[in-house]
Amino acid sequence: MRRIERLINLIAALLETEQPMTADDIRRRIQGYETDNHELFRRTFERDKADLKAMGIPLELRHLDVFGDAAPGYIIPKTSYYLPEIDFQPDEVAALRIAATAVLGVEEQAGSGVMKLSMGAIDDTSSGARLAWNADVAASQPLLGPLYSAVADRVPVTFDYQPAGIDKPAGRRVEPYALVHRKGHWYLVGRDDRSDETRTFKVARITGGVKRTDGTYEIPAGFSAEEHLVAPVGAGEDLIARVRFDPSLRWWPEQNLAGAAASEGPDGSYDVEMPAASLDALTAFAVWWGSKVEVLEPPEAREHMKARLAHALDR
Amino acid sequence: MSRQTSDRLARRLTRILLLIPYAIKHPGISVDELSTRFGIKRDDLVEDLNLLFMCGLPGYGPGDLIDVDFDSGHVYVRMADYFATPLRLTPVEALALYAGGAAMASMPEMDEADALRRALAKLATALGTTDEGASIVDVRFEADPSDHLKTIQDALATHKRLRIEYFSASSGEQSTREIDPWTLYAALGRWYLIGFDHRSGEERMFRVDRIKSAEMLDADAEIPADFDPNAYSAAFRERPGQPTATFEISPRAGRWFEEYYPVRAGQTLADGWRSIELAYSKPQWVAALVLSLGDDVRAVAPGEVAAAVTELATEIAALYA
Repeated sequence: MRRIERLINLIAALLETEQPMTADDIRRRIQGYETDNHELFRRTFERDKADLKAMGIPLELRHLDVFGDAAPGYIIPKTSYYLPEIDFQPDEVAALRIAATAVLGVEEQAGSGVMKLSMGAIDDTSSGARLAWNADVAASQPLLGPLYSAVADRVPVTFDYQPAGIDKPAGRRVEPYALVHRKGHWYLVGRDDRSDETRTFKVARITGGVKRTDGTYEIPAGFSAEEHLVAPVGAGEDLIARVRFDPSLRWWPEQNLAGAAASEGPDGSYDVEMPAASLDALTAFAVWWGSKVEVLEPPEAREHMKARLAHALDR
Repeated sequence: MSRQTSDRLARRLTRILLLIPYAIKHPGISVDELSTRFGIKRDDLVEDLNLLFMCGLPGYGPGDLIDVDFDSGHVYVRMADYFATPLRLTPVEALALYAGGAAMASMPEMDEADALRRALAKLATALGTTDEGASIVDVRFEADPSDHLKTIQDALATHKRLRIEYFSASSGEQSTREIDPWTLYAALGRWYLIGFDHRSGEERMFRVDRIKSAEMLDADAEIPADFDPNAYSAAFRERPGQPTATFEISPRAGRWFEEYYPVRAGQTLADGWRSIELAYSKPQWVAALVLSLGDDVRAVAPGEVAAAVTELATEIAALYA
């Protein structure tokens, strides 16, 4: 019997059983597990369990009696496995289908998601017009799945986190409130145990895996992830720079920084006040425009730029 | 078992667990239609169906096994009521739909925007991922403050050529170009226009926020028959024959750098710095990158890139003298 058949049998049996099945029940009754070799069975079953969990199949271990004398049993609760009935209108399914074709990197998962949601639909819109645009939302980042489950289930997690500029990661315990995507990156907003405050963590800076812990929590009423985002993604930039654009580039701040305080500079140039996340970010922004953009203020930003230039010319 | 084999198995099992409820909901669906629906080859579908003969409930007698019949070319799956409802959305499936929906909602003048909002709201409620209206997943793209996205979309929809005024960071120059637009592409929260640039005679990528003006022309645009938008699933695509820049980057900057840029190869050195290889088209592009990294970068090569760094630094330094 092939492995995939054994796994289908395992899912079928644990989904249909009324009483949780002990490991011994599984070995004796489910086709594909019969063996007299305890160690072989144990290894096989452990690997299968891990794979089912990784696929999102809700396999649960239950203790059959309160005194803990009997061996615990396994079950896949129907209520956790089955997709709840959602009453979609045809135009809503069609819109989801378009959204699914737009995401790059996870098209396959988006496609199976829509398929699940439109099981009974008879319409044939699968060959709809090709979209003229696509979006890469980096949803294939492997930690997103476990973090999403944790937020959905309200389960606190632990992970090692290495903030920018820090050499060694440190362990954190977080009650996750929301996953946020800004400027191509994912952030986790949640209550950080260590500081007892709501903090933002960049998912890409989580090293190793994410572990679920015991307990649960509630997301505070009126919580807004937006309020907790920090620079460079949030509104809380604390650096306001004054930047001079060459006359030929006047259109850029006019188009992209509408509403920013601006004034006429010498010889047709244009001086604009713009927020920046950090001196590094401001310098990076300015050098991309070559000599057509000059940082005027604050003085430390000019010094920062001069140091970068001196370093490069000194090389 | 290797990770890769395991992934392949997981994908196949995921597909089969979706195939069964679909076939149960559509009794008598033809093998061909079912394979089209799932985007798989007919042979692969037949193999999946054949596998089910061996599966079922403990006992595994005639009354316990899944009953599959597709001899007539029409598929019937019986005795598998426990698989009649699909598995709930996996985290990645749900995220992919939310994220795709959010990207879509950020497009100007989408006809489907209202239906999409309703769909995502129902989804959030059903999955319990909403807390008094605040979604636990929040994806946002920068809005385009100009009307360029709209103009580009119109040109894409009608296959017309565009004339754009564009500031190129790699040449430091502003120019007017005619473009046959192929697609609009969002990455790192920004929109890019991809198409054929008649000025350079090459395929190019343009940041929409650096377009000064966009105008739709009467001339028709040509889109290559084999154009595949999926080739852009990274923000930057390496073109054949591009030269390679190499440099070393500090541990501090190395972590995020490899998330952002199309690093071809990287290697950790004895002192913790990373040696990095990066494909480029214009040395000026790498020069701006190197300058913005400051003392987090060293040992820049080849010579034309190092020379471009000096040239760019000299040019900018004149402003701060």
